[in-house]
Amino acid sequence: MKKAILYINQFFGQIGGEDKADFEPEIREGQVGPGIEFAKSLNAELTHTIICGDNFMGSNTEEAVKIILEMLEGKEMDLFIAGPAFQAGRYGVACGTICKAVKEKFGVPVVTSMNVENPGVEMFKKDMYILQGGNIASRMRKDVKAMVSLCNKILNEEEIGWAEKEGYFGRGVRKQIWLEEGTPASVRMVDMLLKKLNGESFETELPIPKLDRVPIADAIKDLKSARIALVTTGGIVPVDNPDRIQSASATRWGRYDIGVIEALKSGEYKTIHAGFDPAAADADPNVITPVDALQVLQKEGVYGSLHPFFYSTVGTGTTQAEAERMAREIVPYLKEDKVDGVIMVST
Amino acid sequence: MRLEIGNFYVREIVFGDTLKFEQGILTINKEAALDFIREDERITEAELYIAKPGDDIRMCPVKEAVEPRVRPDGRSAFPGYVGELEQAGEGMTYALKGCSVLVVGRHWGGFQDGIVDMSGEGQKYTLFGELQNVVLVADTNEEFEKREQQKKNDALRRAGHRLAEFIAGCVKDLEPEEVENFDLEPIIKRAAEIEKLPSVVYVMQPQTQMEEMGYNTLAYGWDMNHMVPTYMHPNEVLDGAIISGSFMPVSSKWSTYDYQNCPNLKALYQEHGKSINFLGVIMSNLNVALEQKERAAIYVAQLAKSLGADGAIVAEEGYGNPDADFIGCYVALEDAGVKTVGVTNECTGRDGQSQPLVTLDEKCDAIVSCGNVSELIELPPMKVVLGELEALGRDGFSGGWADDEILGPSVRPDGSIIMENNSMFCGDRVCGWSTKTMKEF
Repeated sequence: MKKAILYINQFFGQIGGEDKADFEPEIREGQVGPGIEFAKSLNAELTHTIICGDNFMGSNTEEAVKIILEMLEGKEMDLFIAGPAFQAGRYGVACGTICKAVKEKFGVPVVTSMNVENPGVEMFKKDMYILQGGNIASRMRKDVKAMVSLCNKILNEEEIGWAEKEGYFGRGVRKQIWLEEGTPASVRMVDMLLKKLNGESFETELPIPKLDRVPIADAIKDLKSARIALVTTGGIVPVDNPDRIQSASATRWGRYDIGVIEALKSGEYKTIHAGFDPAAADADPNVITPVDALQVLQKEGVYGSLHPFFYSTVGTGTTQAEAERMAREIVPYLKEDKVDGVIMVST
Repeated sequence: MRLEIGNFYVREIVFGDTLKFEQGILTINKEAALDFIREDERITEAELYIAKPGDDIRMCPVKEAVEPRVRPDGRSAFPGYVGELEQAGEGMTYALKGCSVLVVGRHWGGFQDGIVDMSGEGQKYTLFGELQNVVLVADTNEEFEKREQQKKNDALRRAGHRLAEFIAGCVKDLEPEEVENFDLEPIIKRAAEIEKLPSVVYVMQPQTQMEEMGYNTLAYGWDMNHMVPTYMHPNEVLDGAIISGSFMPVSSKWSTYDYQNCPNLKALYQEHGKSINFLGVIMSNLNVALEQKERAAIYVAQLAKSLGADGAIVAEEGYGNPDADFIGCYVALEDAGVKTVGVTNECTGRDGQSQPLVTLDEKCDAIVSCGNVSELIELPPMKVVLGELEALGRDGFSGGWADDEILGPSVRPDGSIIMENNSMFCGDRVCGWSTKTMKEF
């Protein structure tokens, strides 16, 4: 029989609630909590359960992942399951984080489940099967059932259907399929047209992604008194990358003091962006984050003053949702310092 | 305008002493047919084969497909192309149904040519895997394009159309098994109960993006790169006025067979008087420069508005650059207040993760999608190859390659192949046959 391992948080691991959210990862033989429900119909033996506090995973992600991967080393495993996480944000992100790490390290299929409102969905749906789960824990039985159904297909090496059919969040992969009922395009076309003409609801076969256009801000009236800030997606960071910003698909950003700096020096700053040749930016970080030019322009009185920090993340592969969240986190700092304008340097 | 198509259903094709059609059996005198083909001195080598569903046959490089047709009154089945210029879409045309003439290069293929399998896993990828086919395998003296990736395939494509008319000649004096009527009244002289229905136009965007003549779709023999959108009667399209070109990655191609039988047109015809008032065809094209694309979209929207269309279908023969024509035309129609549905294929890449069309617009909220040109397809060897399989890897096919560091060559020594859907002959069937769609995984 094939073997599977389950990841759950401190609450479902029956360690405790919020007060136990710092619980360090632990691996137990057999099934704990939801594991018992999984074991009923899973076509694999659920050999171990890993329990980890949500806060521990959230605040010490690298350490938590390292500990868990070490625990899994040498264990027989055909499938790794996490959750279901419902709408619990930290738990969802934890499930996504550990699933992604396990998939990368051991190459085994991973399955988790979250509610559509869980931020973990947007962060991880492209990396794994995340089933569309309920919002509260009372949906446990239903969510586990849906997870087991997909898990068993994976274990039995059956073909996995498209997202809507199987109930997982689309992973951004569009593939052609043959329609079972064999309805030709001409018939689908007439059907769609009649519905559209008659004002009935219809379903396009090519959903157009919603474009989120941001209106261009009004021009700054008096540049000579304006306070200007510098933000970049070019990945310029202090050489030790203190905020551990990822080189691609970033979820983290940094804020670095440039209050007394005339220019960013090579050797002190570099780029960690994996989407372009870093040679020029490493030789002179100002080509992406032009602190040097801004200091000169300020002295010349072209603009009023420079916000004493620059903000940096990596744009390559970063999802729009993540980028939006990071911006929302950065904006309060700019507002607090009464910044009038931002120079947004992309690459 | 009233078109009658007299149908003769071909259940079997055989070679024999005389060209004849009896009780569903089409008999072809091979030598006589080949002599007819060789009248074009450019043909240097020619052979005929029969390929039916279930045969262990793979064809490559397939260049064109034509339904055999003849007009009992002597007019050409393909006016302005292989015969005298005459009005198409009116009167009687005889058609051999369930069969096609396929044209296959004896050696050389290119970007616009493809594969047809008659059995096994590959059969379902093309319509022609399901038909009785007369297969012309031939070579020509068109040395100038022998090694070119883009080929006009002029001699071979003309040979196919001539052969189709030649073969259908055997039913010229027979009574058809059934007669299909295509009767669409003048737009402004329709019954009140029809005029009450929402009126609909079908906008066609055939491939016409080659600036050099000889590659593009033809209307009555006229290169459609040299036209702005115009109104056409659907009967003209169904009756040999439009001749398929030789340019697109071939899964996107509409063969002449596809025009002659265009399911989208027939579906709209069928709804005429029931749920819609079918106004006819706005024949557009596909262009290269942005200004040309915009001009065509302006013409289409104006025509639709002037004709009083409430709804429109837009179908494009192609993907990639032509997506801009497709989306542009769709948006222009929506902006003109015409409720529009698009029909297209997609290019989401081998991993399925690329943007489906090169440009998108939120106004395009109703699209029928017919497949992914870049889907990888792996097929086992077939016993018989008509043509030259090596062409798939050697001659710059849109879905084939000489070698790949991960996938290896498209054509393997044992005759098995790996290719992109791009090279399935008329595989995406945007003209309406497609039973494929796209789903997010």
